[in-house]
Order: sequence, then C-alpha cells, then structure tokens
Amino acid sequence: MSVLDQLNGSGLYLICGGIVLIIAVICVIFLVRAWRAGKALGMDTVKMKRAITSSATFSLLPSVGILLGVLALSGSLGIPWPWLRLSVIGALHYETQVASAAAEQVGITLSPEAMTTQAFSTIALLMSVCIMWGMILTTIFNRKYVKKLQGKDPEKKTGGGFGDPAMIAMFIGMVSAYLGSYLGGFVSGNGRFTFSGDWTPLLVAAVAALAMAGFTWLAEKKHWEWLDNFSIAGSMLLGMLSAVLVGH
Amino acid sequence: MNTNQKMNSEKYEAYLKATHRLGRAVSMLTLVMLLGAPFLIGGLLGTMPDIGAAARGFLSVGLVWTVSSIVEYLVYTPMLGAGGSYLAFITGNLINMKIPCAMNARELVDAKAGTPENEVISTLSIATSSLVTIVVLAAGVALMIPLRPVLESPTLQPAFANVVPALFGAMAYKYFRKDVRLAAVPLLCMTLLFMFVPSLTSSTSFMIIPSGALAIGLSWLKYRKARKEAQQ
Repeated sequence: MSVLDQLNGSGLYLICGGIVLIIAVICVIFLVRAWRAGKALGMDTVKMKRAITSSATFSLLPSVGILLGVLALSGSLGIPWPWLRLSVIGALHYETQVASAAAEQVGITLSPEAMTTQAFSTIALLMSVCIMWGMILTTIFNRKYVKKLQGKDPEKKTGGGFGDPAMIAMFIGMVSAYLGSYLGGFVSGNGRFTFSGDWTPLLVAAVAALAMAGFTWLAEKKHWEWLDNFSIAGSMLLGMLSAVLVGH
Repeated sequence: MNTNQKMNSEKYEAYLKATHRLGRAVSMLTLVMLLGAPFLIGGLLGTMPDIGAAARGFLSVGLVWTVSSIVEYLVYTPMLGAGGSYLAFITGNLINMKIPCAMNARELVDAKAGTPENEVISTLSIATSSLVTIVVLAAGVALMIPLRPVLESPTLQPAFANVVPALFGAMAYKYFRKDVRLAAVPLLCMTLLFMFVPSLTSSTSFMIIPSGALAIGLSWLKYRKARKEAQQ
C-alpha cells in the first residue's frame, strides 16, 4: 500500500470527518443561539433571515475556491487532512505555503513520491501549530477586548460613535490593498513599469464591480430589493466568467 | 433608559457572557482536537510526528504566522463581534470569505458597529458561511472522483484562480461609493507602492494593515470635523 493510499485510508476519514462534524455542530449552536437572542431582543426576523440567506449565497463561490485548495493539496497529503485543514481554521492562501515550508523542514518536497508517513504527521502537526494563535488569542483575550471595544460610551452602543465609520474605513483599506496589488501586478509584475504583468485579476475585479453597479441600480432604482441577497454572488460569477472568456 | 430598554440590555449582557463562556470552551476543544489529530493519525500510521523537525519548522515559518495571527486578531475582532470572532477564528478563511461576508450581511440589514444587532447579525452570518463551506467541502470530498475533471478543467481554471479578485471587485463598488474621496487615497497609495515595490504583491495580506490604518486615520479626521461642525 502506497503512502498516499494510507493517507486516504478510512481511519483518516473517520478522524478528520469526526472533527469536521463537531465543528459543524458548534456552528449550528452559535447560529441557533444568535437567532434566539435576536428574537429575544426584539429584532426583525425578516432581517435575520436576510442575513442568513445573503451569507449562504455569498459563501458558495468562495467555498468552491476553497475546495480547489483541498484538491491541490490532496495530491501529496491525501484528501482527509486538507479537507479538515480547510474546514477548520485553515485559509486557502496559508495552507499550501505552510505545507511546502513544513515539507522542506522535514527534508522533502511536497510531492506524492517524496512523502513518508512520518513526514506527513510532522507536516500535519506544524500546519496545526502555525495557525492556532488566533484561536488562542480569542480564548484568552476576547472577553476583555470586546468589552473594551464597546466601551462605556452610550453613543457607541447605539452605533452613533466612530465605530461604524472606522469599520467601513478598515474595509475600504483592505479592498484598496488588494486592488492596488492587482494594479501594481499588472504595471510592474514583470519588471518595474513594463505594463506586461497579469491583467486578468484587474479585468475580473472590474467586471465584478460593474456587475455590482448593475445589481445595485436594479435594487435601488427598480426596487428589486430581493436581488441584494444574490448581488455579490452574481457579480463574482460574472467576474469569474470574464476570466474564462479571456482564457487566462 | 426605560424598563424595556433596561430588560433588553440585561438580556444582551447575559447573552454576551454566555457567548464568551461557550466561545472559550469550543475554542479550547477545537485546539485540543487540532493538535491531537496529527498524533492520533501518527498512531494510526505507526509513525509519530518528529517534534524536533516541527520545532525547527515553527522557528522558520511559524513565527511569521504568529505575528500575522496577532494582527489579524486585533484588526478583525472589532468587525466580527464576540460570537462571530470565536467562530471565525475556529473556521478560518477570514480575509477571503468571513470578513467580507459579515460586512455584507450587516450592510444589508443596516446594523451599526458595536450594537447588539451587529453582534447577532455577525454571528448569524459567520455561522451560516462556515456551514456552507463545511457542506460544500464535504460534498466535494464525497464526489471528488466525478468532480475532479470539472474542477481541474483547463477552461475553468482561470475562473477558480480569480475568486478573490471577483470578490474584492464587487465589494469595492459597494464600499467605495460610500466615500469615494476616502477610498481614493489608500487605493492610490497602495497602487503606487505595489508599482514601485512589486515584490510586495506576495505580502498583500500584510499590506492591509498600513492601508487600513491610513483609511481609518482619514475617516477619523472627517468624523472629528463633522462633530465639531455639529457642535457649533
């Protein structure tokens, strides 16, 4: 039996699937508690349903992207472990990098030919250790940090303080960093100011933004409010379709 | 504060307290499972992890991710609230999914930062998003053999390689139109930075910090000016 066959064995599916199942149950518990709390606080259930529907449609396409991460890692690490890693704590951009770096530390390259069972268990441990800090920080500091963020200012608790503009600004900063990297990648990706870098991310982002503008116009001017729940997913789909059409 | 508001405030405080208790418990449980799994698998395969190699690996790559985790925790928790942050740090994929997803949900229902409504909506959003990913991945793993040719199809590769640009393009329209002048400055600064130092494109997730700090700084100046004008 090859190492890859062992890494795709039923025992690993059982361990990894069991953990994924527990995490799913945790999500359901948080979902139900938040729903009940919202009702107890007198929140509009239509709004809460809308948040759930939009989040579900929003997450579909990125989830397919994450599934590709499982596929990419399955060639050297088998299917169950990447499945677990990308369902729990993992991040698409993180896993491949850390898995490669961990393989290097155990003296192999991340390939099915080079993989050994000990290298695998060491890589798996390192992948877990490297990414666990966010969870440790939430466990230790979240209570105090959230309290500090809410503060004693009554204005903050009604959403009237700087909290809301700060959050929007942070998000604008985040989006700007990504768009700036696509623009910079095109202009200087193959040498400074050569304008010969990859332009597909720019095209995709532009098409998705245009599509979003169209959806927003329909929702606001034509009063198709229901479209709001699907506008991000629809815009992303059109943006991704443009990448298929140009074939890059 | 009237009786109704006081009751709601007490209910909310009780909910938050219980959320922290539950959040800490499930985070610890996940941590134990996640660190235990490599040893359990090692036992099953008959070879335990090489702790020395793992420690060397941690010193070489782990420290960078530790710093990144601290920054992520400080930056993202205000956007996610209590319940949302526990769940998001358990289920991962923050930048490419959970944060934009929660922001989109709160935007749709017009929930303001720091309010009980925001806390509830954020938790509903992150829990739903996590469940969708879990279901999609589980279905994908179960159907891996028939799905593999579709997912690996050369025609569809450009689409799957550009999920994040599509997401940020759509979100850019949604957020930039709120304050075009505020958005123009970090966008211009970041574009120039990536043009002059192209090697930074591999560290985009770190560049969120200066870009976000710049946007928050500008927003603060605008907020302070508006408050002063309102007081006069």
